[in-house]
Amino acid sequence: MATYLVRRLAYAVLTFLGITVATFALIHAVPGDPISFYVGKAGPRGVPPAVLDSIRREYHLDRPLPVQYLHWLGGIVTLDFGRSTIDRRPVTERIAEKLPNTFTLNLISFLLSAGIGVPIGMWSATRAGRATERASAVFFFLLYSLPSFWVALLLMQLFSVRFEWLPLFGVVSDDYDRLSPAGQLADRMQHLVLPVLTLAYAQLAVFARFSKSALTEVIRQDFVTTARAKGASATAVLWRHAFRNALIPLISLLGLIVPLLISGSVIVEQIFQWDGIGRLYFDSILARDYPTVMGMTVATAVVTLLASLLADMLYAVADPRIRLGEERQ
Amino acid sequence: MRRLITFVIILTLAFACSPREKKAPPPANTAATAADDETPQDGGTIVRRLEADVTSLNPVVASSLYDRRLAFLIFSPLVHIDTDLRPIPGLADSWEISPDGRLYTFKLNPKATFSDGTPVKASDVLFTIRKIVDPASESVQIAGNFEHFDSANSKAVDDHTLVVAFRHAQASQLLRFNDVMAVPERIYSKGNFKQDFTNTPIGSGPYKLVRRVPGQELVLERRADYWAKPPYLQTIVFKVINDNNTAWNALKRGDIDETALQSETWFREQDNPQLKRRLEFRRFYTLNYNYVGWNTRDPLFADKRIRQALTMCLDRPALINDIYRGTARAMNGPFTPGEWAYNPAVRTIEYDPEGAKRAFASAGWLDTNGDGVLDKNGKPFEFDLILTSGSSTGAQFAQLYQAGMRSVGVKANIVTMEGTAAIQRILAGNFQAAYLGWDLDPDPDPYTLYHSSQFPPRGQNFVFYKNPEADRLLETARLELDFDERVKQYHRFHEVVADDQPYTWAIQVSLKWGFTNRVKGVKESRGGYGLVMWYPGELDWWIPQNQRRHEQPTAAAAPAAAERKPVVVPNEKKPAR
Repeated sequence: MATYLVRRLAYAVLTFLGITVATFALIHAVPGDPISFYVGKAGPRGVPPAVLDSIRREYHLDRPLPVQYLHWLGGIVTLDFGRSTIDRRPVTERIAEKLPNTFTLNLISFLLSAGIGVPIGMWSATRAGRATERASAVFFFLLYSLPSFWVALLLMQLFSVRFEWLPLFGVVSDDYDRLSPAGQLADRMQHLVLPVLTLAYAQLAVFARFSKSALTEVIRQDFVTTARAKGASATAVLWRHAFRNALIPLISLLGLIVPLLISGSVIVEQIFQWDGIGRLYFDSILARDYPTVMGMTVATAVVTLLASLLADMLYAVADPRIRLGEERQ
Repeated sequence: MRRLITFVIILTLAFACSPREKKAPPPANTAATAADDETPQDGGTIVRRLEADVTSLNPVVASSLYDRRLAFLIFSPLVHIDTDLRPIPGLADSWEISPDGRLYTFKLNPKATFSDGTPVKASDVLFTIRKIVDPASESVQIAGNFEHFDSANSKAVDDHTLVVAFRHAQASQLLRFNDVMAVPERIYSKGNFKQDFTNTPIGSGPYKLVRRVPGQELVLERRADYWAKPPYLQTIVFKVINDNNTAWNALKRGDIDETALQSETWFREQDNPQLKRRLEFRRFYTLNYNYVGWNTRDPLFADKRIRQALTMCLDRPALINDIYRGTARAMNGPFTPGEWAYNPAVRTIEYDPEGAKRAFASAGWLDTNGDGVLDKNGKPFEFDLILTSGSSTGAQFAQLYQAGMRSVGVKANIVTMEGTAAIQRILAGNFQAAYLGWDLDPDPDPYTLYHSSQFPPRGQNFVFYKNPEADRLLETARLELDFDERVKQYHRFHEVVADDQPYTWAIQVSLKWGFTNRVKGVKESRGGYGLVMWYPGELDWWIPQNQRRHEQPTAAAAPAAAERKPVVVPNEKKPAR
C-alpha cells in the first residue's frame, strides 16, 4: 500500500506539472495580453508607453515564455501565486474569497441530485424494461438536455419575477446582518433554491441513469439469482448484495464529481449574481489575467488529482478483491 | 441517509414557500403631488446597479469605468465638468493659466477636508499628480492626461495654492484636471501605493465607503462634515449585477432604482403601459460612436475615392430605423453632433449604391469575370471585416453593411473575434477593416487617433491616416488657447478628414437607462456626458420622503417626519481588504 501511494503521488506531481505547462502555454497562446486589455479600455487618450513598460516588467511579460513559466513555478514552490493583473490583490486571496460560495452551492446541488438520483436509478434497475421505467428514462434524457441558461431564466421569471416568492439574485439579502441566526439560515437557503435547482436537475439525470446501468449489470449476475433463490427479501437482495457490488462505478463517478465541487458555473453565477469561481475564471480569461488563471488551474488540478487518488483507495475499501500495489505475478 | 436527504428537501421547500417578507412593489406615481416633484427632499437611500465589481477604489490606480464612477462620489476632482462640458470649480476654487499655457495656478477651497477630518492641502494634490505620472503606479486610465507634466517646476506655494507646470501647453489640459482626485499624502505615501488602498479610500468627496462585499455590493454614506453643497441622498447602495437580464428584472421588482438597459430590452418594454407607471425610461447621446476603420496601408483601401465609395454602401437609414428603431443618429466625422468641434457644414456621405458602383468603376474596379465580385488586375475586391464578439446589434450592423457592399460587388467576410484579441491585432495595424467604437474624452482633441506620429505599434492611428494639412491642424489646435480659433481649426479638420474617410463613421447609438420613478432630479448633461460623473449630475438626485424604501422596518414604521437614521451596517466583515 505504501509503495503504491508513493508511486501514485509521483505520478500525480508529474501530471500536475504537465497540466500547468499546458495551461500556461494555452493561455499565452490566446491572442492579446494584459497590455492590450488595458489599452483597449483606456480609449482614445491611450496609455503612456512608460506605464505599459512598467506593467510588462512587473509581470515579467518582457521575458521569454519559458522564463515566465519558471518565475511562476518558483513562486508556486513557496506558495506565492502572484498578484492579479486586474486588481493587484494576491491570487490566493481572490480565489479564497469566491471558493466558499461555489463550494456551498455545488455541495448542496451534489447532495440533492445524488440523494434523489441514485435511489431513482436503483428503482429503475429493478424495473428495467417496463413501461414506467422507459418513460422515466425518456424524462431524464429530456431533463438532461435542457439548456441550463434557459432553465435558469425560466425559474427566475416564474419564482422571482412573477410570484416574487424568492430573491432574484445574490447570496444574502440587504438586511442579512439584522436577522436572527435562524433568519440568516433561512435567508441563505432562499437565495440558494434557484441556483441549486438549476445546477441539480441535469446532474440528477446523470446520477439516475448512471446508477441504473451500474446496478442493471450486477442484477443480471449469478450471485444475485442465488441470493434470490435462497429466499432473501427483495430489499435485502438489492441493498446487501447488488448495491454493494454496483458501488465501484459509482466511486469512479465520485472521483469525477469532486473536482466539480470547486469549479463554478459561469451561467448560474452570471444569472443569479452568485459570486463564485466560474465568473472569476471567465473574467480572468477575458482580461488575460495570467496569474489568476494559473492559480485557479492549480487549485482545480490539485483537487482533481487528490480525488482520483481517493477514488482508487476507495475501490480497495469497497471491493476486498482489489489489493493495491500487490501485482500478481 | 435517506431520511436526512428527505429532511433537507423538506426544509428547502419549506423555506422556499414561506417568503420572509415580500418587498412592497414600487409605489405607483399617482399619489405623488406636484410639490413632491419640484422641491428636492433631503435623505433617503437609492439602490444603484454596478455592471461589474470595482477593481480598485484608489482613484489613481482605478482601471475601469466602474472604479471611476465610485471615485467620483468618494473623491472630489480638482476641476469639475459642468453640463456643457466646461470646467467649473471642484476642489479648486479658482485658477489662472500663464500666457504661454504651461503654468496652472490653482487656489484650493480652504474648507475642503478629507473624510478623516484633515484639511486638503496643495501638497496632497501635487502628491496625487506625481503618483498619476509615476509609471510604477500603473495609472492606465489617467496617466495619458499628464504626459507633459513638469514635476520640477510644479510646487505647492502654500497650503491652498498650487502651481502645476507642463513642458508643453495643451488646450485640453484644464479639463483633464477632472481626473485629479486628491488623496491624502500623509496616508497614501505609506505602504504599497498600488495595492494597499484598494478598499480603504479616504477622499474629499461627498460620500464615504462604509461597506464592501466583494462581488455583491458597495455602500456609501453621505459625509456629515462635507465641505461643499451636500448631495440630497443619504445612502447610495451599489449592487453588483453582471447580467443585463437580471438587472432588468431587478429594476422591475424594485430591487434596484436604476440600470442601463440593452437596446433590445428598451425596444420591447419601453411602451409597456404597466411598466411606465412605475418606471421611467431615458435615452440620450453620449460621447461615443461606432465606425469602420479602413487600414489605408492595405492596397484595397489606399485610395480615398474607394473609401468614400465604401461609405456609400452603408444604408444608414436602415441601420438607424430598422436595427436601432430610431434610437441612433448618423455620424459623418470624428466629432459627435453635440460637440462644439462638430462642423455642421460637413456633408454626410449618403447611402448610394449606384454612386458607389460608378466610383469603383472610375478607379478601375469592374466585374470582368461575371462572378458578382469586382476585380482589377485579376484580383477580387474581397477583405476581412473584424467584428468584436458579444454584441447582437454589432452582428446585425455587420450583416447589413455586408449586404450593402455585396450589392455593389464588394465581398466582405465578417470575422468575429473576442475583444482583447481583436484589439491586439488592430493596434498592431495587422488588419484590413474593423467595426469598432470610441468613447471620447470631454475635450474633443482627436490628435491620438488621426495624427501621423501616432502610427502603430505605439499609437492609436492604426488606420495609418496621413494628410499634411490634417497633421498641421491637429498640432496647432491642441495648443490653441483661444477658444474661437480652436473651434475654427477643428471645423476645418472635420472637413479634411471627412473627405479622406479613413473611417466610415457610422452612427452614434443613444444610451438607454431605466429608473424607478421615485428617483427625481435626474438630468442628462447637455454636452453629452450622460447622467453621471459631471457636476452636479447624480449629486442632484433625490427621493421623496413618502416613497422611501430599503430602510429599516422600524424606521419606516416610525412617524414619517422623523429624520431617517443612516443604515450603518455593523461591519465585522471589515470593508477594508
